[in-house]
Amino acid sequence: MQIKVKTIDDTEKEYIEIGCYKRDERVDEIIRFVKLHQGSIEGSKEERKYRISLSDIYYIEAVDERTFIYSGKDCYESGKRLYEYEELLAERSFARISKSVIVNLMKITSIKPALNGRFLCRLKNGENVIISRKYVPGIKERLHGE
Amino acid sequence: MNERVKDILSGFFVSVTLINVVMLILGKILGPNQTFGYEVFMYPLIYGFIGAIPGIVISGKKELSVSQVIIRKIMQLLLIIVLMFAFMFGGKPIDSELVTVAIFVSISIVIVFVLVNAILWWLDMRTAQNMTDDLLKYQQKRLNRQ
Repeated sequence: MQIKVKTIDDTEKEYIEIGCYKRDERVDEIIRFVKLHQGSIEGSKEERKYRISLSDIYYIEAVDERTFIYSGKDCYESGKRLYEYEELLAERSFARISKSVIVNLMKITSIKPALNGRFLCRLKNGENVIISRKYVPGIKERLHGE
Repeated sequence: MNERVKDILSGFFVSVTLINVVMLILGKILGPNQTFGYEVFMYPLIYGFIGAIPGIVISGKKELSVSQVIIRKIMQLLLIIVLMFAFMFGGKPIDSELVTVAIFVSISIVIVFVLVNAILWWLDMRTAQNMTDDLLKYQQKRLNRQ
C-alpha cells in the first residue's frame, strides 16, 4: 500500500483517507490504529478486554458501584470509578452531567428540558441521558470556555 | 448560587408578578370601590412567600420520575390552597360572600400555579436552546481542531 502525506492549509480540517479495493480486516486494523491514536480507554466484555476509542464512547455510567462504558452498540464494564474518568477525561470532550453519568459532548444532538426540572440530552444513537440541574452551570462554562 | 435557591427565587418573583395581576383582576370584579393603604404592596410578597413554602418543604435532593413530579406538583398546589385559605380566611365566619371569594381565590391560585410553571418551563426551554447552540459550536470547533 502506497503512503502519501499531503500538507494542507490550517484553515482546512485534517483528515486521513484510505484508498482501497475493498474494506477488509487490514483496512479495519488501520482505522482502529488511527482511532486509538486519538485516545482510548480499557473496558471488558464477556471476560475479554478491549481498548475503546474515545471517539466511539457515548457515555460512561456508574450503576451500583460498577462502571459501564457505552459505545454505539456495545457496553463494556470498567474497574475504574466514575470520578477517575472525570479526571482522566477532563481535557477531552467529556463532561459530568449527573451523579452517575459522564457524557461525550461530541455525541449529543440536542438538549431539551425534562418535566422534572432536569434537562434531557438526546444522543446521536437515539438514546437519552439526563442532565441534573446541579451540573448545568458547569456544562455551560465548559461549552463557553472552549 | 445554588441551583435550588435560584429555582425557588425565580419561582417566587414570577409568582409575585402574577399575583399582582390576579389581585388587580379580582379587585376589579369583587370590590371595585375598595381603597387601600400602602400596606397593600406587601400582599403580593406575602402571598408569593406562602406559595413558595410548599415547594421548599416538599422538594428534596432525590431526582424524581415524571409521574412522581406530577404527583408532587399536585400536592404542592393543594398545600398552597390550604395555606392561602388559612392566611386569608382563618377565623372568619363562613357565609355566602366568603364562599364566593374562596372560589375566585382557588381558581386564581390554580391559574397562577399553572402560569408560573409554564413560564419556568419556557425559561428552561430557552436555556436548553442556548445550550444546544453552544454545544453545536463546541462540536464544530473540536472537529476543526482534530
